[in-house]
Amino acid sequence: MPSATPTRRTASRPAGGAPPRRRANWRAIGAFALLTGPMVIGLGVFKYLAIGWSFLLSFNEARGTLTPGHWVGFDNYAFLLKDDSFRSSLWMIVGFTAFIVPVTFVLSLALAVGVNSVRRGRAFFRTTFLLPAAVSYVAASLIWKMALFNGLPSGIANALGGLFGMHVQPWLSSTDPPLYWFVIVTLRLWLQVGLYMILFLAGLQSIPPHLYEAAALDGAGRWKTFRSITFPLLRHTNAAILMLVFIAAFQAFDEFFNLFNTGQAGNASAPVRPPLVYLYDSALGDQNYGVGSAGAFILTALIVVVTLVQGRLAGFGRKD
Amino acid sequence: MGNNALSRRNFLAGTSVLFVAGVATACSSGSSSSSTAGSKVTLTQWYHAYGEKGTQQAVERYASEYTKANPDIAIKINWIAGDYETRLNSALLSSDAPDLFELGDFRAANVKSGRLAPLDDILAPVKSDYAKAALDTATVNGKVYGVKMMDDVMMLYYRKSILAKAGVTPPQTFPELVAAAKKLTTGNQKGLFIGSDGVGDIPYLLLWSNGGDLVDPSGKTVTFASPEGVAAIGGLKDLNSSGALLQGFTTDWFDPSALVQNATAMQWCGLWAMPDIKKKFGDDFGVIPWPKFGDAAAPAVRVGGWYHLVNAKGKNVEAAKKYVDWLWIQQTALQKDWCVSYGFHIPSRKSVAAQTTEFSSGPAQEAAGFSQQYGHSFPAVWNKTTTTAFIQAATKIAKGGDAAGELASAAKTCQIELDHQNA
Repeated sequence: MPSATPTRRTASRPAGGAPPRRRANWRAIGAFALLTGPMVIGLGVFKYLAIGWSFLLSFNEARGTLTPGHWVGFDNYAFLLKDDSFRSSLWMIVGFTAFIVPVTFVLSLALAVGVNSVRRGRAFFRTTFLLPAAVSYVAASLIWKMALFNGLPSGIANALGGLFGMHVQPWLSSTDPPLYWFVIVTLRLWLQVGLYMILFLAGLQSIPPHLYEAAALDGAGRWKTFRSITFPLLRHTNAAILMLVFIAAFQAFDEFFNLFNTGQAGNASAPVRPPLVYLYDSALGDQNYGVGSAGAFILTALIVVVTLVQGRLAGFGRKD
Repeated sequence: MGNNALSRRNFLAGTSVLFVAGVATACSSGSSSSSTAGSKVTLTQWYHAYGEKGTQQAVERYASEYTKANPDIAIKINWIAGDYETRLNSALLSSDAPDLFELGDFRAANVKSGRLAPLDDILAPVKSDYAKAALDTATVNGKVYGVKMMDDVMMLYYRKSILAKAGVTPPQTFPELVAAAKKLTTGNQKGLFIGSDGVGDIPYLLLWSNGGDLVDPSGKTVTFASPEGVAAIGGLKDLNSSGALLQGFTTDWFDPSALVQNATAMQWCGLWAMPDIKKKFGDDFGVIPWPKFGDAAAPAVRVGGWYHLVNAKGKNVEAAKKYVDWLWIQQTALQKDWCVSYGFHIPSRKSVAAQTTEFSSGPAQEAAGFSQQYGHSFPAVWNKTTTTAFIQAATKIAKGGDAAGELASAAKTCQIELDHQNA
């Protein structure tokens, strides 16, 4: 939003060219405290306190209890980093992220550009693509598992595949080739792409139309216009969306948990477990809250590092 | 944004419908209370969601009968769908902990963490009425912590007519089972269903049917990575690559739907499902134990069953014990109703079992015989951690992993857990 910046700058400066001076505006401070107070207190109690407690637990042996009292230092961290299945879950999530982030990004940008360029029925397409974002992962996982990708000849994916001569596949338990990835990826894309499309649309619509008019006068084609105007001016949107998609990918849980859940037996027979499912099993299944907390901090560290690197590369928050 | 701005109202109107639908599907558990206006104490009781019709109404009826007789005590029943034990374990740490709950198979670790109240006083008058194993499993340091509600036998159901048509006799060994499953796979009907994931509980059965076991009798050493275990659990690979296994069915092995809907000719399931199967097929089904792996070993069935337990940290331990005493010790008519009126379960008490006629003929009688002859149960040290490690290894083996390596690594994880429990 380059055009908005100068206005804001002039407004914040006192009239008459006097040097800016900070004076306590008690009304504003009072309003600030009143408006943000409940949120800050809520965050403090329900988030930061819980995070601090969990950090404490991660250095304790806490089996079947939430009370620290048996200090074990870095044992829980060491256990996790030595554990094959935790390490493979970390590798799995890195691979999953490396795949899903660019795909989500490109698809939602393409969808946004497409929707933005249609003349009629834009609201219809926008709503249609966004609707899946309102469906919960649990509900969508059930639909994917029970209706679309079940292992029966009557399942929708198998019925469609049958038209092309494909054999009936047990999608979720096929490991050679690993067809379950197809189920996971389509589910996530269906749920997420619409939401990011809306964010991209908002970014697209803040690009001043006169730039496109000037480009058209200069004879720039559609691809050239996209590369030289649309994409560079979307930089802030791009960076923000990349970060959101990254974090969402690292936190993948719902579809993995629900697609492979076998009811009472839980997730033991899942072909892949992302870190959060591993930690859910450790903390809530095995009641090993020390290991569960330690794993949460390892995962958080990974997300923070990746986000910082990615933010630096993509220029998130950089001034124009 | 001008004309392009989203109309917030239209947007919300469209999406909120889907939101509500999503939320509604997400909550499938329910609770109900037998409270009367004058109740002083409300006990919370947890059950996992039994699949058979009428079960939830039955436990609610038992509770309200108790409240009628004891107006001071109301019972609030929570009927929990999904991963029952995980939800129970987390609830037990919170202030919403149930006062009494059931648990499939007994977990000694719950005694060690001080969660269970000893029940010797209410069990004392009827101890001789239970099988020794049912009491022994629930005994820690000389005290009994659980009342066994019923025995659940799990076995292999097969359709007599389909086997006869294919010229297949009920399999006696594992290779015969694989061959039969292949021969019975025709068109849209598969030969065998052991679970939607192609694994289910079968790793345990394979291990037992080759003379192996999970842990040694002392409960201190993990033994499933033995040569017998490696050989037998490796058999999962044969099943999974046979093309005869029904996978990705919409319900799992503990639900008889796959067999009832003719999606499979044989299914591993529990005695509880027998009334539903009988209703659909009449006499056109039979039961056999899981066939022996080699010639040297014996067939196997799993005998599970549920224990009723009292939360030692609850606010009303005495009242909760009284209710367990009333329902699972004194009310033999209700126990019989519970065991035979919905799904079939073998009553754990000999005197109650003697009142039933359901297990004196036909497949139900055979099933009761299997439990005596070939029954195996999980040891009390077997818990969620060991289950996860073991089933994960078995899943990898089923999909082509190296049996010896996977089982050895799972055994290491399980041994750490056992050492913790026995420390």
